[in-house]
Amino acid sequence: MANRADLLQGTLDLLVLKALLLGPLHGWAITKRLAALSDDVLNVGQGSLYPALYRLEDQGWISSEWGISAEGRRTKTYTLTALGRKQLASERSAWRLFAAAVEQVLHAS
Amino acid sequence: MRVAQFKRRLRALFHRAAVDGELNDEIRLHLEMEAEELVRTEGVSLDEARRRARIAFGGVERYREAQRDARGIGWLERRGQDIRYAFRGLRNRPGFTIAVVLTLALGIGANAAMFSIVDRLLFRAPPLMHDAGRVHRAFLATTWRGQVNENDYLAYARFIDLTRDTKSFDRTALFSEQELAVGTGSDTREMQVGIVSAGFFGFFDASPTLGRYYTAAEDAAPNGAPVAVLSYGYWATQFGSRRDVVGQVVQIGATRYTVIGVTPKGFFGVWPDKPPMAFVPAATYAAEKGLDIRGENWWTTYHWTWAQVIVERKPGVSVAQANADLSQAFLRSYQNELTTSPHQQSIAIAKPHAFAGSVLAERGPHESTLAKVATWIAGVALIVWLIACANVANLLLARALQRRREIAVRLALGVSRARLASQLFTESIILALLGGVSGVIVAQVGGAVLRTAFLAPTSTATVISDPRTLIYAGGAALFAGLLTGLAPLLQTRGVNLGHDLRAGVRGGAYQKSPLRSALLVLQGMLSVVLLVGAGLFVRSLSHVKAVPLGFAPDQVVLAELEMRGVPLDSAPSEVLRHRLHSAAAAIPGVTMASRQLTMPFWDTWSFDLYVSGIDSVSKLGQFELDAVSPEYFATMGTHIVAGRGIDVSDAAGAPGAMVVSQAMAKKLWPHEEALGKCVRLDSDTLPCHYVVGVAENIKSDQLGDDPGLYYYVSSEQFHPNQGGLFLKVRGDPDVMKETVRKALQPLMPGASYVTVTPIRDIIGEQTQPWRLGASMFVIFGMLALVLAAIGIYSVIAFNVSQRLHELGVRVALGATMGDIVRHVVTGGVKFAAAGVGLGIAVAFGLSHWIEPLLFEESPHDPVIFALVAGVLLLVAALASFIPARRAAGVDPVRALRME
Repeated sequence: MANRADLLQGTLDLLVLKALLLGPLHGWAITKRLAALSDDVLNVGQGSLYPALYRLEDQGWISSEWGISAEGRRTKTYTLTALGRKQLASERSAWRLFAAAVEQVLHAS
Repeated sequence: MRVAQFKRRLRALFHRAAVDGELNDEIRLHLEMEAEELVRTEGVSLDEARRRARIAFGGVERYREAQRDARGIGWLERRGQDIRYAFRGLRNRPGFTIAVVLTLALGIGANAAMFSIVDRLLFRAPPLMHDAGRVHRAFLATTWRGQVNENDYLAYARFIDLTRDTKSFDRTALFSEQELAVGTGSDTREMQVGIVSAGFFGFFDASPTLGRYYTAAEDAAPNGAPVAVLSYGYWATQFGSRRDVVGQVVQIGATRYTVIGVTPKGFFGVWPDKPPMAFVPAATYAAEKGLDIRGENWWTTYHWTWAQVIVERKPGVSVAQANADLSQAFLRSYQNELTTSPHQQSIAIAKPHAFAGSVLAERGPHESTLAKVATWIAGVALIVWLIACANVANLLLARALQRRREIAVRLALGVSRARLASQLFTESIILALLGGVSGVIVAQVGGAVLRTAFLAPTSTATVISDPRTLIYAGGAALFAGLLTGLAPLLQTRGVNLGHDLRAGVRGGAYQKSPLRSALLVLQGMLSVVLLVGAGLFVRSLSHVKAVPLGFAPDQVVLAELEMRGVPLDSAPSEVLRHRLHSAAAAIPGVTMASRQLTMPFWDTWSFDLYVSGIDSVSKLGQFELDAVSPEYFATMGTHIVAGRGIDVSDAAGAPGAMVVSQAMAKKLWPHEEALGKCVRLDSDTLPCHYVVGVAENIKSDQLGDDPGLYYYVSSEQFHPNQGGLFLKVRGDPDVMKETVRKALQPLMPGASYVTVTPIRDIIGEQTQPWRLGASMFVIFGMLALVLAAIGIYSVIAFNVSQRLHELGVRVALGATMGDIVRHVVTGGVKFAAAGVGLGIAVAFGLSHWIEPLLFEESPHDPVIFALVAGVLLLVAALASFIPARRAAGVDPVRALRME
């Protein structure tokens, strides 16, 4: 039912929520953290990251706050909300189900 | 949507600058951090690092779009942007904007104006009528001499029969509108009066503003009650809306009516375009008018057919069932009629049947020429609209071509094609709506001319305050927007980024567009069709004007006597007419006065004629007569071609004299001399009328093939107590008619009065459809021609401006000014020639449809076709010549250096 684009988008949401679970971050740092966590396999295009951040914020899963960074820069920091934690949990189980199913299909002989 | 979410979206919508600013900050932060990292990890220079960061980020513009989409208000916001963008673009090119809006205004205005007319003539139910879909007029059909006659004017007795013997209807009513003298003394004026049976008001949701309507008891034979319900308008203007009007007395016709009520505002019966001043009971009117029916009561005779019948089907009764029911009732009524008038055609021959037709008078079965012409003109207006759309599409295309580079740049910057298309489309729609608003103004102002041509002068029709017309105009505008918006949309599909960006100003724009050429040809074609129509009507009108009437109407007025409740015996009536005749002849400015009985085109009088040697004269045709005094032929200018006219010697008691038309003489005595022949009128036992002269033929019934079977008898020998006067006057008949009326009125007894009408007005009614058709087709044809000329001009001018470089090259290579002009003009004329060719073919194929509306004019008149082709080619040449001159004046050096 879901097409390719939807799948990718859903995946990005999941990844962003996971990245924020480990602590509040600003936009650029999210891409860095995802790259680090996946050993540079996952390279999130910035072009889709910011729309995703806005969408997640719009859904109430993350919240944002303007602040001053250690280097004295004005930065926008994103934090996972309680609603976001629940969403992450449900997306995680959905992903596991999906991934397992794909694995099973690929291993079928 | 949660509250926080909603608040965020609102903020995004109304504080766009702030939200966009934050977004920019965030992007900047991202790029800086990315760059710093690149410097750190790869050791590149800061500038290089920034460059790479930008590339890695991708199209900033596209990202912003996606970003705004995510905010959820993107769609609305983008439409708002598009609208602002379109307005800005239009403001920057006022010439273009004005040209488009004006063109659309003309196209839409012409249509809105015609719609308001055709709607009123043919579609709109009378105001306040409830369940108009179930209301019909009853039509009776009988066969006479092999022809089926459908008639909706019928006698009161028939109405009573139909009402009694049908079961399909909730209600029925009798109605008629008459022009009657209202008021007394010098205030007497002829006004429209609604004569309706008591049940008529039940067809409407209209309770009286004041008082009440009359009851069935007040509308019953034999006399009815002298009660009247005033119309709202008359009550307001004549009685200043005073509430004590009920109980007052108003003189209408010969009867003094007591006012019992006032209709509500906006109620005009079934005559919204000719509002009656009051409504009076059918029985009361009939009792007053029906005095002189030969030996019969007005409520039992079937011969006085003066009113129409309106019926409302019961819910669930189909039109077919209603028709069958009506036919059954009419059959029974016809049988009744046969018992009192045995001379009537038998049922087997007459085949009486009936049906329920449209309640609107202009809808069939007797659709007037006026309605037909109006329908045609509405079609013509639609063509003008099409031409306007083609023009606008062409202008928009030209503009889109001009903006090719701009479009390419914007695409390169990451604006999506859909977004671009939506912007172009928004522009078209905005232009169309501006055109629509201006069109309504055009329709209101310019449409006044059309409305006076088609609708009664009392009509209250407007455009601005009429929702139906406004909706139509809005629809025409929107549809024009959609249609014209398509053209530039198609254009954006073909944008080739690399090519268009490289091509620069010059190459990016000029190229041949088959779509634009097709639009030009289409315009030319449609204009030709309209102009051919115009030409055919103009020729018809000149034919109509050239028709020999057999009399000269221009300087003659008709004085009619309206006896209004003054029942004079024969002798005083005769004396009165003699007195009026001498008085009229003595009026300064009247050069000749003659007695008359009938007026060509208005009324006819005919008898069965008996001529020895001819079995049945009536089989040869209908012979019509007038009873005149000796001055008649000189007054009317009808020539006597043999024998003499009516003479003073043709007095009462002298042998009956008769002057026949040439056509009549030829019909009755094809091989013999007519003079001296004996003709008996009405019965073969009555004394002879001897033919004393032969007069030229006159038209008395129709301007076309009139059989011209007409004869004249002496007014002293034939109903000397009836009829009026024909007066030949010096000067303007419209001025003289009042002089004559004032001179004769004092001689009239009691409440009787004189009306005076210039007979050219009566003849004018006959030529009106052609005059109307000719003037309307010419107006719309010229409109089409102007639009087509603008179209050709704008396209050629645009092409020339885009080709200055090429033309400069040509000049540099030795082309003369003449060569350039010829080259450009040929380009324009080529389009026109294609349009003319197609248009001639289409017009040739279509023109037979308007043949019934033409007068002695072939729908394939080669003169018209040739003339139209010539005019259009000439206009095209002129329209191309202006830009061609400009092109020829190009300085080759400047043209080549351009860019």
